Amino acid sequence: MKLLKKLPSRVLLFSWLTLAAAGILGAAEKQPQTVQISIGTILAGNQNDEFDAKLKGMEAQLKVLKYRSYRLLKNESQTVPWRGEKAFEIPGGRTLTITPQEFQDNRVSVKVRLTQGQKPLLDTTVKIPNKGNFILGGPPHEGGALVLSISAAAQ
Amino acid sequence: MNECERIEQSMERWLDGELGAAESEVVRSHVDSCANCGAVQQRLVKLERALGNVLAAAAPRIEFAPFWSELERRIDEKTPWHKDLRERIHGWFAVPRTAWAVPALIVLLIAVLSYDSYLPFWRSRNNSATVVSIDAYGRSVALLREDESKTTVIWLYQNQEGDDEAAEETPQPGPAF
Repeated sequence: MKLLKKLPSRVLLFSWLTLAAAGILGAAEKQPQTVQISIGTILAGNQNDEFDAKLKGMEAQLKVLKYRSYRLLKNESQTVPWRGEKAFEIPGGRTLTITPQEFQDNRVSVKVRLTQGQKPLLDTTVKIPNKGNFILGGPPHEGGALVLSISAAAQ
Repeated sequence: MNECERIEQSMERWLDGELGAAESEVVRSHVDSCANCGAVQQRLVKLERALGNVLAAAAPRIEFAPFWSELERRIDEKTPWHKDLRERIHGWFAVPRTAWAVPALIVLLIAVLSYDSYLPFWRSRNNSATVVSIDAYGRSVALLREDESKTTVIWLYQNQEGDDEAAEETPQPGPAF
């Protein structure tokens, strides 16, 4: 009987604790401080059938592009604060500037600017699933095309 | 249940003096007028007296002193903090199952409503990047989204005059998506 009398208060207490824990976890998940931006620079071509073993994890994504060969030229990661800018040097005198915009629904919104010297080539804003990537390709290089894998991971 | 049965049920409490005045009077008058209930009353009185005699004879032989001293020792005994803590924690986790059901339901509800954040293996249906805006400064751009490999591709065609990085770098026609 004593336990039954305590039951409603215990249920309430446990519920509040659970909600508080979920709230804290949710808040932590929704307010990352920085973003880890990774740029993989890949040279795609049709001269041979070479497939760089370092790109094994991206094979399914690269197959979409229908080139015969893929070689990883460079892989660079940088931690960028929200609304902060970070420039990545891309072969051929190009620069890729990334600005993380916001984190919402487990997606990282990034502003991407590709320039060649002073000349802007592309401005785009993309929402990437957290720890996911997208591909920006096309700039010609060494008889092939550059393929940039742009990944973002909120931290 | 007849009157005699009702009286018999109340008789022990009457003999022990636990009944109220009115009820005692009802039992007493019935016992006085009913031979059967009168006999029952006599048996109970005899039994009570016999038990009393037995207990009175046995009581002096019972040693109460060790019982009281042990009881006092237990009352005065200081519980170690870890034992106290263990008992308290055990008390919390011994909450009946119904008490756990509510928070469990809340957790389930939160998980279902925000599965995208908490259950990464359910993210597959929404795992492609989304292009919000794009400006290629007059150049041609192709957008491709391939669901099987969750791939989003922005393909920039640098095919305008002056776009090529060097004379020896011939622009590629681009992939056949």
